Amino acid sequence: MAKVTIYSTPACVYCKMAKEFLNENKIEYTDFNVAEDEKAREEMVEKSGQMGVPVIFVDNEMMVGFDGERLKELLKL
Amino acid sequence: MYDVLIIGGGAAGMTAAIYASRKKLNTLVLEHEKGGQTALQPEIWNYPGYTDLNGAKLLDVFRKQATDFGAEVRSFVAEKIQLEKNEEDKEFFILENKDGEKIKAKSVILAMGAKPRKLGVPGEEEFSNKGVTYCATCDAPLFSGKDVVVVGAGNTALDAAMQLTKYADKIYILVRGEVKGDPITYEKLKKESKVEFVFNAETKEIKGDQFVTSLIYKDKESNEDKELKVSGVFVSIGSIPNTDFLGDFCEKNQFGQIVINPRTNATSKAGIFAAGDVTDIEERQAVIAAGEGAKAALQCYKWLKSNH
Repeated sequence: MAKVTIYSTPACVYCKMAKEFLNENKIEYTDFNVAEDEKAREEMVEKSGQMGVPVIFVDNEMMVGFDGERLKELLKL
Repeated sequence: MYDVLIIGGGAAGMTAAIYASRKKLNTLVLEHEKGGQTALQPEIWNYPGYTDLNGAKLLDVFRKQATDFGAEVRSFVAEKIQLEKNEEDKEFFILENKDGEKIKAKSVILAMGAKPRKLGVPGEEEFSNKGVTYCATCDAPLFSGKDVVVVGAGNTALDAAMQLTKYADKIYILVRGEVKGDPITYEKLKKESKVEFVFNAETKEIKGDQFVTSLIYKDKESNEDKELKVSGVFVSIGSIPNTDFLGDFCEKNQFGQIVINPRTNATSKAGIFAAGDVTDIEERQAVIAAGEGAKAALQCYKWLKSNH
């Protein structure tokens, strides 16, 4: 199974949509709250070169923002 | 075949769905972004009946009310709309997505809302998500301890600046004309020591390397170009309606907003109604969008009764 990581902030609706999508499809994932977790924030910026949430990794594939169709493809759903 | 298709799941669309489903109309809401623009607001202070409200939670309640009364909600991005006639010469509408899936309905309520307007200056696209952002709610925490600029002076801009006071070290607010946001927020911001208003400023360029490093603006009084060293640019200069897929199916004004009869929410095409920020109404507020959605649904119900 693919390793799924999401970097998110609590008030971000796209992050919520992404997490709901993962929950509905019973995909396990690790969630980093980058509003609080400074280390995770630095890691996200370094790994993704992005300053916008959500950043989602499916193994080594990266997605910025939430696009259900693309996420389905990455997760092979 | 649905009685009514509601395109958009924000305040206007979901309220229309509540009213339509209570009229026992067979109702489907096509959602693109859950909760629309209201759901992007972490704090709402002016929605009557609530003193402190989270936009996403409010829209979850709207949605529950709609589905409890029987409305269906599904994720569907319309790419095309067409009018067809059946054997009895009755007209109906067909919505199609990019995979060619079709949904039919007797009437449609357009409630697609709006998206943030872009500055259209060099560097904006290049540094999008690399310092340039349109969602303070989402991205403000990423700029902890940094200097940022908010471009714009409407309510969205002032709210963005307010959210940023929790995180950023220094917040410039770039105002081109006058401050249009609510005086209550404006007064609060003026008292914040980390906030600095820059007036008569026209944004010219966003610069950076891997990420944003500065913003260049023209000081319209001195006619000089000036530079602000910032790592974040929060663009809040209004919105543009989400009407791309409509083409010229119904009348739009020069801003791309759908022209409606303000009494009935009818568009130029019979059987098509519209509500909320996608239309040419003057005020863009959750409570107004909700009211407009209710109006559109009730008028749509009347139209269906006399035409189907």
